[in-house]
Amino acid sequence: MRKILPAALILLLLAAPWIIAKPFLVHLMIMVLLWTVLGASWNLLGGFTGQVSFGHATFLGAGAYTMMILYLKLGLDPWYGIVIGGLVAALIALPIGYLCFRLRGPYFALSTLAVAEIIRLIALNWESLTAGPVGLLITTLPRVTFWGKAINWESKTPFFYLAVIIALAALLATAVISRSRLGAYLLAVREDIDSAEAIGINTVQVRVAALSLSAFFAGLAGGFYALYLRYIDPDAVFSIALSVEMVFIAVVGGLTTVAGPLIGAVFLVTLGETFREHFLVGHLIFYGFFMMLAIRYMPEGIWGKVRLWIKKPATLGNSS
Amino acid sequence: MSLLKLSGLTKFFGGLQAVSELSFEVQAGEILGLIGPNGAGKTTAFNLIAGFISPSAGEILFNGENIGGMKAYAVTRKGIARTFQIVKPFKKLSVLENVTLAAFLRFPARREAEAAAGRILEKMGLGSKLPALAVDLTLSEQKRLEIARALATDPKLLLLDEPMGGLNPTEIDQASKLVRDICRGGVTIIWVEHVLKAIMNVSDRVVVINYGKKIAEGTPEQVVKKPEVIAAYLGTKKR
Amino acid sequence: MIGVGLTVIFGVMRIINMAHGDMVMLGMYGSFWAFTLWNIDPFLSILLWVPAAFLYGLLIYRFLLKKIVPSGELNTLLYTAGLSLFIANLALLIWTGDYRTIKLDYALMPLRPLGIAVPIPLAVAFGMAIMITVALYWFLVRTPTGRAIRATSQEPEAAALMGVDVDRMAVITFGLGTALACGAGVLLAPSLYLYPTVGEILVAKCFVIVVLGGLGSVPGAIAGGVLLGLVESLGAVYVSVPYKDAIGLVIFLLVLLFRPSGLFGVGKS
Repeated sequence: MRKILPAALILLLLAAPWIIAKPFLVHLMIMVLLWTVLGASWNLLGGFTGQVSFGHATFLGAGAYTMMILYLKLGLDPWYGIVIGGLVAALIALPIGYLCFRLRGPYFALSTLAVAEIIRLIALNWESLTAGPVGLLITTLPRVTFWGKAINWESKTPFFYLAVIIALAALLATAVISRSRLGAYLLAVREDIDSAEAIGINTVQVRVAALSLSAFFAGLAGGFYALYLRYIDPDAVFSIALSVEMVFIAVVGGLTTVAGPLIGAVFLVTLGETFREHFLVGHLIFYGFFMMLAIRYMPEGIWGKVRLWIKKPATLGNSS
Repeated sequence: MSLLKLSGLTKFFGGLQAVSELSFEVQAGEILGLIGPNGAGKTTAFNLIAGFISPSAGEILFNGENIGGMKAYAVTRKGIARTFQIVKPFKKLSVLENVTLAAFLRFPARREAEAAAGRILEKMGLGSKLPALAVDLTLSEQKRLEIARALATDPKLLLLDEPMGGLNPTEIDQASKLVRDICRGGVTIIWVEHVLKAIMNVSDRVVVINYGKKIAEGTPEQVVKKPEVIAAYLGTKKR
Repeated sequence: MIGVGLTVIFGVMRIINMAHGDMVMLGMYGSFWAFTLWNIDPFLSILLWVPAAFLYGLLIYRFLLKKIVPSGELNTLLYTAGLSLFIANLALLIWTGDYRTIKLDYALMPLRPLGIAVPIPLAVAFGMAIMITVALYWFLVRTPTGRAIRATSQEPEAAALMGVDVDRMAVITFGLGTALACGAGVLLAPSLYLYPTVGEILVAKCFVIVVLGGLGSVPGAIAGGVLLGLVESLGAVYVSVPYKDAIGLVIFLLVLLFRPSGLFGVGKS
């Protein structure tokens, strides 16, 4: 298992020059990778730690806006902006976590929804910082050279490789965490919070850590998203729809697995984007449909089901 | 200095006084039984000591340090472990993982934690069941798993909450022997139990609680003769 | 009304129904098409749509939800979220994302009770909503089925022991909740813009109301609805217009955190 994933991605990288010829395919791959990161981010909290959040768009938006504001107002290169965006998201996760983790299960989920909406409204109205509903726009991208060649921001290629890097980082992080003591603790918290406390696990700290890590990657993805689209507004990056999509990708793909979000993204995003090309609206119908299907018949997700067939239940140090 | 000392421990739930001015001491190396009728406040006392709820008044001194009001995980880190009346294993994880998780407290590296867990499970007689899922074990096995998990945190004091509940006579005897073995291994034990025969046979001393108050204390032989104790369990005779 | 439907569903079956808002949306569209195609006044077509919605709710519960409920509240939440997305997007596909409105002839002149301008359709809707709420109350308190529902909501095991068919109650309750939501949609249609994703926004408001009043409590939901309306209007005047939605949400969070059984302490936490 451990060898298939990196091999697949390397194949992807090799195939890239060929794929790049067709703009729709490149866009599709970029979206798949982006949603892989978002799915992996949610998976850290929702899958491994069992805390369902419906407000993850908060972190995406935080990363997006941080990057945009730093670039537009301070001229900071997007690379740094994206990473700082991730850090900012991780930071705001701390108070949100301490607040919302007093609640359990579905109530926690609802509270994250409320928080996300409140932040969206703040972003909508704090015009001096975020330009409100008008949004922020990048007109010129910085002149960056990579090994002597200037990057052509007009084509999708540089974005593709950037997306690959971020996605790899997210998946690798998930793999490392899942095998570590923290990863084990996350599973314990998911299973039984009281028992976890009884064996010396500071469950609040563990949950906040999970949320923060999760937020970091969502923030990274947000910064990238902003760079790719070059325009963001509060409804685009703080919407409930985005939060919900993240959940669906992680669940349908396979909670508590490393590759799950990738599979989920490949499946749902491909379906969705292809559909959107032809019908323009209603592409989320697949998300809804497969979510219902998953909960009913495959709660462990597509990848989870596959792994069961190969007889390896999700265990400590074994989730790949 | 005693290992654990409760002084005037009191807990109110709204208007209900669950535990009232409870005071007793536990010496290192002994087995203390905590008995009393249903609803007497025994589990509440456990929850207070273990940090799952905080006292309304009074002190809980562990090795001289006041741990009253400390959170559960902190109490465990200090060296007090507990089991639950209704077992709470990590159901979807394997037997080995259940205990490894607890061992992580003292052994941050996975390999050592797993090794420590394996050793404890062997002693508990679960050595052959390491890969089995916790949910698939029999009740007796799950109870042993729960104790193994508690022991993996390397406690100085172990709180056992009705470990005999639901066991048949053979299993009860095995469990009694187990409790003695654990104590001989250097762990002080306080246990709550309704199976009086077992607890009276194994405990060095017994504390009797009713309505949240201590009504008797002493060796099993002493306590069993006291009229207050008999009254608490059987009610006063009306002849 | 929407809130009451939601709280009833939660109370009896502990289902957090994210698709509730979409039921409202369906009601709105139902009345729209009834009006456009057959020229039926929405306030009359409610008689058609409410029973239809009831049936629809029964079917959804029976065939879709019933198997999911035992696997836990969280799974149900996710499932209904999926359902919600499915219905909303289906509507998007079938009816397109254009905004629709219902224009009634008698809607043009507003009433002016006590000097406040109230558009007629809203007034009628309000009146009918009150009537329906009263009828619902009567149903829950006076009829045997209604009492059975309340019993199941408070103590399912005891109710089962008393011979209540808990399963049937669950089905009926879901149908009832759905019918209420749909009915609300029909009533509101002349006063609001119609578009398929209106469900999303409504369901959020709806949860706020329900939590404020206490989950599972019908009078709580009614009180919650009134309270939220007041808070939003007052907030708009005294704090600032755009933040009025935020105020409701903040209160929602505070209640969830500190008074999970609702402001009046009657709900389940």
